[in-house]
Amino acid sequence: MGRVALRGIRAHLVRFLLSVLAVTLGVAFVAGTFSLRTMLSSTFTGIIDSAMVGDAYVRGSEPASTGGPNGTQVGEVRTTVSTDLAKAIDAVPGVRMALPDISGPIVLVGADGTAVTSTQAPSFATALYPQDDSTRISVGRAPHGPGEIAIESATLAASGLHVGDRTTVVVGGALRTVTVVGEVAMGAPMAGATITFVDVATATAAYAPDGQVPTITVLGEPGISERTLVGRIAPVVGATAEVVTGDAMRAESRASIETMLGFVTTFLMIFAAISLFVGAFIIANTFAMSVRQRMREFALLRAVGASPLQVFASILTQAAVVGLLGSALGIGAGLGLVSMLRVVFERMGMDLSGSIPLDASTVVISLVVGTVVSIAAAAVPARRAALTPPVEAMRDDVVVHERSLRVRALIGGALVVGGLASLVVAVTDAEADGSALIGGAAIGLVLGMLLLAPVIARSVLGALSAVFVVAVKPLGRLARGNVTRNPRRTASTAGALMIGMALVGAASTLAASTQASTRTVVANEMRADFLIQSATGAVPSGAVAAIDGLASVSHADALSFASALVTTGGATPTSADSTSLVGAPAAAFGRSLEVSTVAGSLDSLRSGDVAVQKTAAKDHGWAVGDVLTFTTDTGATTATIGAVIDSKALGVPVVVPDSLAARLVPASKQQVDTVFVTPAPGVTPERLRADLVGAAKPYVVLSVLDQTDFASQLADQVNQVLVILYALLGLSVVIAILGIVNTLALSVIERTREIGLMRAVGLGRLQLAGIITIESVLTALFGTAVGVTIGVVLASALPTVLADSGLTTLVIPWAQLAWMLVLAAAVGVLAALWPAIRAARLPVLDAVAYD
Amino acid sequence: MSIRTSDHTPTTPEVGAGRTGPAVATARGLVKTYGSGDTAVHALAGIDVDFTRGELTAIMGPSGSGKSTLMHCMAGLDTPTSGSVVVDGEDVGRMNQRQLTRLRRTRLGFIFQAFNLVPTLTAAENITLPLDIARRPVDRAQFDAVVDAVGLRDRLDHRPSELSGGQQQRVACARALVSQPAVVFADEPTGNLDSRSAREVLGFLRRSVDELGQTVVMVTHDPTAASYAHRVLFLADGRLVGEITDPTPDAVLTALRSLGADDVRGDHRVDARLAPATAGTDL
Repeated sequence: MGRVALRGIRAHLVRFLLSVLAVTLGVAFVAGTFSLRTMLSSTFTGIIDSAMVGDAYVRGSEPASTGGPNGTQVGEVRTTVSTDLAKAIDAVPGVRMALPDISGPIVLVGADGTAVTSTQAPSFATALYPQDDSTRISVGRAPHGPGEIAIESATLAASGLHVGDRTTVVVGGALRTVTVVGEVAMGAPMAGATITFVDVATATAAYAPDGQVPTITVLGEPGISERTLVGRIAPVVGATAEVVTGDAMRAESRASIETMLGFVTTFLMIFAAISLFVGAFIIANTFAMSVRQRMREFALLRAVGASPLQVFASILTQAAVVGLLGSALGIGAGLGLVSMLRVVFERMGMDLSGSIPLDASTVVISLVVGTVVSIAAAAVPARRAALTPPVEAMRDDVVVHERSLRVRALIGGALVVGGLASLVVAVTDAEADGSALIGGAAIGLVLGMLLLAPVIARSVLGALSAVFVVAVKPLGRLARGNVTRNPRRTASTAGALMIGMALVGAASTLAASTQASTRTVVANEMRADFLIQSATGAVPSGAVAAIDGLASVSHADALSFASALVTTGGATPTSADSTSLVGAPAAAFGRSLEVSTVAGSLDSLRSGDVAVQKTAAKDHGWAVGDVLTFTTDTGATTATIGAVIDSKALGVPVVVPDSLAARLVPASKQQVDTVFVTPAPGVTPERLRADLVGAAKPYVVLSVLDQTDFASQLADQVNQVLVILYALLGLSVVIAILGIVNTLALSVIERTREIGLMRAVGLGRLQLAGIITIESVLTALFGTAVGVTIGVVLASALPTVLADSGLTTLVIPWAQLAWMLVLAAAVGVLAALWPAIRAARLPVLDAVAYD
Repeated sequence: MSIRTSDHTPTTPEVGAGRTGPAVATARGLVKTYGSGDTAVHALAGIDVDFTRGELTAIMGPSGSGKSTLMHCMAGLDTPTSGSVVVDGEDVGRMNQRQLTRLRRTRLGFIFQAFNLVPTLTAAENITLPLDIARRPVDRAQFDAVVDAVGLRDRLDHRPSELSGGQQQRVACARALVSQPAVVFADEPTGNLDSRSAREVLGFLRRSVDELGQTVVMVTHDPTAASYAHRVLFLADGRLVGEITDPTPDAVLTALRSLGADDVRGDHRVDARLAPATAGTDL
């Protein structure tokens, strides 16, 4: 029987080709994700190993709240330690040197006058100790004094600067002209991070003016183990600090990177799973059609003594071959994909570790996944072939009985109704867990519609084909007959497209709604004419001062973000109490920002009270008059809640006056996120803009935005996310298109004689191609229409459920959805190309010759 | 009734060319060879034949005698290796695919042994299919005449799967005739039918010739079916080897038996002595 199965595959290789390709694409995604993860993981491990060379590390003993809004630190954020401790540790026997790690954000201006940045990688400056021999200066010398810097090799290459060049940096909020005096080799790819080195005094002034640093790196004398070193240092550091071995510190960092990569992997795996799921439809369809055609062959096998189980096994063997072959090719394609990605990353300035890793587990998982998916998809058709009585299959005109769709209709209907019901509950019941309900509704609707698709296929296709039936006689009617004659097959072909299109529909509706909501929020809450933001997330304090000093500026209100442990009633703060805060001048409300007050008054901020968001007040049971305790590195401070506000623009739970913010966070650590600017009387917006641009220009990373710019910048961010989503969903759509090609090609084979008959009675080749194209377009439209509908219905519920997160307006992007249908029609034409040519080339005689 | 012999040369020009009516389809020196060299098979080894307008002609012969190939070449479904085919005044051999398609669409009708109907269309839609494809208007009078002749008035809205084999074949006949083609080619039209349905279909084909003035060429290996024809041509090993006009089943059987007795290709033919009473009547 095994031989029969293998010969069957060899004889009909072309018929299985697209199934193999479907597995290949899905598995390529899986294998690519795994090897991308391994590659990133080894890159970051390389960074850790080459950047963290200490034998021991001293750090704060308590978890801290002040990580900054976009902390560049990896791992758990802790309280700081004093640089003075380094001297004490230096004296410990066996310690070669103890170096406080002083580093912080920097803006480095490259040779082309723009900031050196790459994608999302951080840009920071770090203190270079003259005695530190673990950092190798490959060209030039170490920087001395505030006017000199050294640059890491890859950063230097990306900046276009050379040792000896003069350039500008923004350090600690101030502009500074510096000379590049050295190049530092780190010995591993730094994944695009912009790394600059300054001397200790400069770094201390900029990043540790209070003498507090996150860690102290300890290098031991040769021959002393890390454990011994830690044992000797421990008594010196006191209660506020702790010491760990270098290995432990590196392991911690690696673990936190693995966690982050885990999220990325999970995210990508969702799309890989969608692709495989869609691919399974192709395989199921292929085997269903192949089984249908070979009923007589199976009957013969049964007649000569094969058991149903053997027939079943022989079909599953074929599926396994398809799966293995596809998976093997997919692993290769996945590696190709990752090498392409690496080239793309390199172009963007993100250098990654050299080798593209392929470990045994990736291979095994990919092979198993691909094969299991194939076998599972083929199981239903295989069972059907095995259970067909031989006599029935032997009959001259094989009538394959279509089983009733009633069970499918019942289960599918129940799922759809359940999904819609939970959607309704999510929208109407404010107390319910909206996200979970919508998640459930999504699963119910998608699975339900997949099951219902064959049931509704006839009527939906009938409606969709009306245009063709009228416009292209008689091709439209013939095509309609072909797509509705086997609704199960058409539905599962369209189902593959439906899944991708549901996500596309939901994503585009969500994106349109988000953009509209953002515009509403900006229009409602932003009073200032202009705002200034930084590409690095922090507006330098020098720039804030410069803008405030402009004659054309009446007010410049700076908003800074921070975090603190916020508690009530004298409770002991834990890391769970960490809360984001925004600090703003009390006067900003009313002139820069228009914030609606639910209770109390924002005027109370002038007297040192704080405001809390409605949602946070609800979650924590806060009310006007309650006293909050804020705990940070600098100690604990209390403040009274003076107002409960409802602001979408200030997306943080607590708003504090800037006087309080200054007490909570040392000035050097404050990060100004946005500066709102109001013009002086009589100043035109054009003049103000020109002045602001002039003041911001030296800082390179600042952008001056009016309300429209700001809204469209936010919209662009949404579009970027959308593009990534579309790209990831693209593969599943490609697989779905292959599915249409596959079904059409197989049905052309199946309909050979019918096609011959029509050709014999005068159907032209172009007409035949036309029929197949209309069939294809109808299938694509069916999948897209149903899918997009599901997506839009689901996404429509989100603004109600997520209203508190700022998603207030529901916008259904009709034009975009209409384009989706046009695109589907184009996809249909594309998918029909090959099957149509194949069908048109069938010799009429071969087709009519009765076998 | 008469049975004619042909002469002993490989090509037999006068066979089939002897009826009084004008020829609607003509083949001259028709050769069809499959393969080449040692494995070459001569399906048609040089045939000259005329099919008379307004007649039902049956082509008979044992399996592999080339009867289907002859019909396929006449209908432009297959390209001859050499020789010429003229149908309704047009040289089929010189036509390209597009012209052949138009020929089939406008001048020819087809009835096959099985798989005659498009399963997704109703009986009425199947009947008008060639006209729809050609985007020609349906002649209601002709449609009604044909539908009534095949007796399918009450079945027009049924799908093929809801019709019996005989009914399906009658729909196929109606489809072949509704466009009033120059020639209808029927390939074993009763091969899949029980004897009663076969009689209905054959009776209808004959009536369409006698009453509607159609021309039908039918390949069959059933002597009873052949007896419905005006004229029966016999093929063996790619050559025309005999002909009977106004046959009876017995006469066809007898002729076949004598063909079956032949062990040497082309050396013996249906002999005039088999039916001396009618010899020469159609010379």
